[in-house]
Amino acid sequence: MSARNKELLNLGFAALVASAAFASVSIVGTGLVTTRWLGYVGVVFGLYLVAHIVARFTVPYADPTLLPLVGLLTALGLTVIYRLGPEDARRQAVWVALGIGVLAATLFWLRYDYRALERYKYIFGISAVVLLLLPSVPGLGHRVNGVKLWIKVGPMQFQPGELAKIFMIIFLAGYLRDKREALAQGRLKDLGPLLLIWGASMLVLVQTSDLGSALLNFGIFLAMVYAATGRLIYVVAGLGLFLAGSAALYNALDRVQQRVTVWLHPWTDERVYCSISGELDFRQNCDSYQLVKSLYSIANGGYGGTGLGKGTFTTVDGTQLIPYLNTDFIYSAIAQEVGLVGSAAVLLLVMVFVARGMRIALIAQDGFSKLLATGLTFGLALQTFIIVGGVLRVVPLTGITMPFVSYGGSSILSNFIMLALLLLVSNRAAATAVNR
Amino acid sequence: MFGNLDTEQTLLVLKIAFLVLLYLFIWAVVRSVTRDLRSAPQESIVLSAKEANELRARYEPVVPTPAARLLVLESPTLSPGSTVEIREPTRLGRGGENAIRLDGDDFASTRHAMLEPRFDGLWVEDVGSTNGTFVNGARVTTARLLVAGDIIRIGKTDLQVEA
Repeated sequence: MSARNKELLNLGFAALVASAAFASVSIVGTGLVTTRWLGYVGVVFGLYLVAHIVARFTVPYADPTLLPLVGLLTALGLTVIYRLGPEDARRQAVWVALGIGVLAATLFWLRYDYRALERYKYIFGISAVVLLLLPSVPGLGHRVNGVKLWIKVGPMQFQPGELAKIFMIIFLAGYLRDKREALAQGRLKDLGPLLLIWGASMLVLVQTSDLGSALLNFGIFLAMVYAATGRLIYVVAGLGLFLAGSAALYNALDRVQQRVTVWLHPWTDERVYCSISGELDFRQNCDSYQLVKSLYSIANGGYGGTGLGKGTFTTVDGTQLIPYLNTDFIYSAIAQEVGLVGSAAVLLLVMVFVARGMRIALIAQDGFSKLLATGLTFGLALQTFIIVGGVLRVVPLTGITMPFVSYGGSSILSNFIMLALLLLVSNRAAATAVNR
Repeated sequence: MFGNLDTEQTLLVLKIAFLVLLYLFIWAVVRSVTRDLRSAPQESIVLSAKEANELRARYEPVVPTPAARLLVLESPTLSPGSTVEIREPTRLGRGGENAIRLDGDDFASTRHAMLEPRFDGLWVEDVGSTNGTFVNGARVTTARLLVAGDIIRIGKTDLQVEA
């Protein structure tokens, strides 16, 4: 069977799984057993069918699992977002449609040779830094929840950091392909760029006071350096530098301090100073309110979950228990409704995606393609780890989105660009193998 | 149409069906890519570089890669009538870091094409040139196996593969 026919089959299967989820939410919502949900499944997978047809023309040999996996992840995200607020789900569906538009445009634009991107690597590198610092520009930057990650132009607001991440991966793939031999020798003077990028990521950390995206970008950088040189010392040294830098900045950044305290001690037995109300209160009612409520939400799901649509997210009077539930905390909403068994499966979906991405990197023919696929895949993997780990209290919680699942326009659009690039690399690698 | 069904029972069935289908989907997706790989057997969906090399060594016996010879038909830089021997992956282009340098050819890119002898013959691949690499007049889009008599065109340089 050809790759695209497999993809179609897998997409059909994903639609079936999503049907069970949509039906459940619809039945709980209306109290009646109806078939209204069929329309929603039709709309969502209609969009993916469009993406599939575009893929048939532009990337016929590409990996047949990526699109179906992403299809199911976005569908599950939509189910939970719909359940928390139908209005948001409608907006999210529009974002997914736009995302598939961007995917199609990227596939079409780069269908002959995406490696043309390598020629503009320095432009991508500089653009990434500019985009990262854009929210710090007075008048343009917009602070949401204490973190400066947004820019606002008229009624539109978006997170330039999401696009910067992709630009940085393209730059690093091109740059490291060029310099990998010099870096692999490990002379001291070659460490210059490493230190420079470490400095830049620290600067961005101070500017935006956002530990999550600093960690994500630096992590992608280290993974790509490791993939290019095969020298573990860079990873060890890089992580050491990052920890040392974070520790040095710890005292200067209130926000980072607060995040670490909440992570280590979410509950207190005595009333402590609460920066939100300015009075003494238990920490679980103050700084760590979100995290603690999210942990209760996960616990409430147990092994099998409450069933999709039946979780408890509001109090008796209708106020939402957990702020930012459909973005940062979407994993805890999923965990409550589908339980340990279901949320483990959601992580498995991501893991299969990552495994396929790494395989694409392995079979790709040239260094640029290999590094590009590694960077894109590792980026998605690390982002999922940081947010899911944050929600589960494995690492300090930082507000980033769960790729393809969380509510959010900038995130959905940039994730679809990353998917398009992976499909392009995969198509080229597989086409070369087929022509043999 | 299902109006007479009990809501709670339907939801319980849906809950179980969803979880079972979710795992079946993962199984089907993994299976769809691991089953019918013709070239090399594969136990996992990702092989480490070492495992891949071991498998390759077992199923693709190492044949010494034969050197290929190219006859220069026309070129602003290389002298027509001379032959070029390709023993290892060789890059052609206008830039100084190329193994075969076409510095007088204004239509060649700095990094133009790769020639690589493999066990099954000589392969050519375009490495992001502006004007393209052509084999017998057809533009090369992915790596391509050459046979004796094929004419490769890079910029204004024509090379013919010798038997």
